[in-house]
Amino acid sequence: MRETRVLLADDHTLIRAGLRMVVDAQPDLTVVGEADDGRATVAMAEALKPDVIVMDIGMPSLNGIEACRQIREILPETQIVMLSMHSDEGYVLRALKAGAKAYLLKDSAEADLARAIRSAAAGKSFFSPAVGKVLLEDYMRKLQRTGAEDSYDLLSPREREILQLVAEGNSSKDIANLLNLSVYTVETHRARVMQKLNLRGIPELILYAVRKGVIS
Amino acid sequence: MSLSFDPRILAMTLNEHAAEASQLELAPPSNKVRWLFLGVCGALLALLLVSGVLSVRFLAKMQSQELAVTRALAERAQMLSGLWLSIQTYNDAVQQFVAETQADREEPSHQQLDQLTLEIDSDLKRYPVERDSSEAELLDGLQEVFSQQRTLYVSTLARNSGERGRSVESFNAEHVAAVQKKILDWSGKLRAWNGERLGNVDRTLMTEFAGVQGGLTRALTIGLGSGLLLVLAGTAYIVRLERQTHSRYTQLAQSQHALQQLSARLVDAQETERRAISRELHDEIGQALGALLVDLGRLSTASNDRPEVKAQLENMKSVTERAFQAVRNVALLLRPSMLDDLGLVAALEWQGREVSRRSEMEVEVQSENVSDALPDEYKICVYRLVHEALSNAVRHSGAKNARVMVRQSSKNITVRIGDDGHGFNAQRTRGLGLLGMEERVKRLGGTFTVESKPGHGATLTAEIPFSSSNGRTSGATTS
Repeated sequence: MRETRVLLADDHTLIRAGLRMVVDAQPDLTVVGEADDGRATVAMAEALKPDVIVMDIGMPSLNGIEACRQIREILPETQIVMLSMHSDEGYVLRALKAGAKAYLLKDSAEADLARAIRSAAAGKSFFSPAVGKVLLEDYMRKLQRTGAEDSYDLLSPREREILQLVAEGNSSKDIANLLNLSVYTVETHRARVMQKLNLRGIPELILYAVRKGVIS
Repeated sequence: MSLSFDPRILAMTLNEHAAEASQLELAPPSNKVRWLFLGVCGALLALLLVSGVLSVRFLAKMQSQELAVTRALAERAQMLSGLWLSIQTYNDAVQQFVAETQADREEPSHQQLDQLTLEIDSDLKRYPVERDSSEAELLDGLQEVFSQQRTLYVSTLARNSGERGRSVESFNAEHVAAVQKKILDWSGKLRAWNGERLGNVDRTLMTEFAGVQGGLTRALTIGLGSGLLLVLAGTAYIVRLERQTHSRYTQLAQSQHALQQLSARLVDAQETERRAISRELHDEIGQALGALLVDLGRLSTASNDRPEVKAQLENMKSVTERAFQAVRNVALLLRPSMLDDLGLVAALEWQGREVSRRSEMEVEVQSENVSDALPDEYKICVYRLVHEALSNAVRHSGAKNARVMVRQSSKNITVRIGDDGHGFNAQRTRGLGLLGMEERVKRLGGTFTVESKPGHGATLTAEIPFSSSNGRTSGATTS
């Protein structure tokens, strides 16, 4: 099996060293380069074309979000694992919108990094468990205080299944194959889910799924 | 850790400026000057009043005197001409009588002469009784001449008509003409004396008038002079006061400007320091702890076969995690990295969720058209404004809901923070928090308004001029 090539981008040498040790400990992963700011990351990504980039969200000269967007434009095959100190939905949503596949909190990076890299390499979403927890708490508190009803209850079992599969990063075609449905039916379900949950775009759908603990 | 303005620093600077202000304050204008002014004005008015009353009274007196003199003169002149006429008639009658030759006409002529004599006497008696010695003398002289004439006539008349007829020519030439001339002289003297007296009275009046005129002129001169002095002194005093006021105003404006600059520098210094500390915490301590966490995690995984070591490592890891969280929170409070990483709107949304998580107040954040690329001082200003307003609302208002609205137009940025708490009296309550907010907004040339009534929540609004086309507005200052 081909090794997954990983580029590490973080402006802190200590963190990079720690991450490198974690990655190097995995036989199926290999570190191909290290970058210490946003611009260097974009340049190295272009030169090395890694499978996955593990990137700090706050970096000098060009922050992680912007670097992520640029890299996704140039190299659509390269997946990005975002590293952050923040579990707030503002960060998660913006990282998702910029095209990141996985979102890891720095304080739990060591435990989940390998899984996150593998998920991202396979085109699947991954989130630190703590992120889902914070998002869910925010969501539940808001429901409780404003007296709104939980839109998740509006979904049919089939729609929930589709929500999870879309959020995990599957295309409509994958889902159709998996569930033995036509692509058209999947698309219809998908549109209805978006409508019921009042979501605009895949990043919001993924965020919603994370919040509800549908994926992690 | 307090992130609000340090009240001691502000109080200190305010005190310094108060001391400065009291130094430049000049001695208050004394009451003496005011009393002096009043005194001089009063004296001036009294002077004018007195001289006015005196001259009016004098004029009235003079008029009545002149009237009396003229009347007396007219009376005398009338009497004299009456007397003169009577004497003249008497003379004619005597001459006629002397020339009369017929005896039967004698008796009625006698009677006529007696009648005329009585008339002359009554004329003389009618002459005004108030007369001085020279006038009496003249009158006596006149009376004497007349009585001489009468005596003469009486002796002549005693003769019979024949005799009279012969001597009539010589009698007329010798006596009548002489006596008539005398009477004419005396009455001429009396007339002249009367004229002289009128002249005398006129002269006296003129002298008195000149005296009063002199007095009046002196009074007017004094009044005018002192009035002029008063005006000059008053003008000088006003000019001095104006100059003082102007210089005081200038000094006040200067010290106010200095105060504003100082507090602006204070805000800047605070912001710079916060950012430095935040970066230090985040970059050094935070990253060290992060690296430590990664290493501890690896060690823990590696020590799966030794449970007691693993338990200890897990414990160390959780302690480090807590420290990491604490450092992260403090760093965020000092300088939210969202502002740099994600822009203003995301930072405000984060702030809203953060407050919702930690308090009983649910915060809704709305934004319209807000650029992600605002200059740092604008981002910081809006962010701190919202932060302070929400903290205040949580701490003091008991609000259940708060709404933050940020809107950017072509000319300005509008920030509005409203809550449904129990409000406060916006006219009276101005804590350091509100002052600090106002200070920040003013620094960027904006306006800050607080609307609140007890029981009706509170709304804070800031309008900050900002034009995205030229990057920043002319009103904004950076230092």
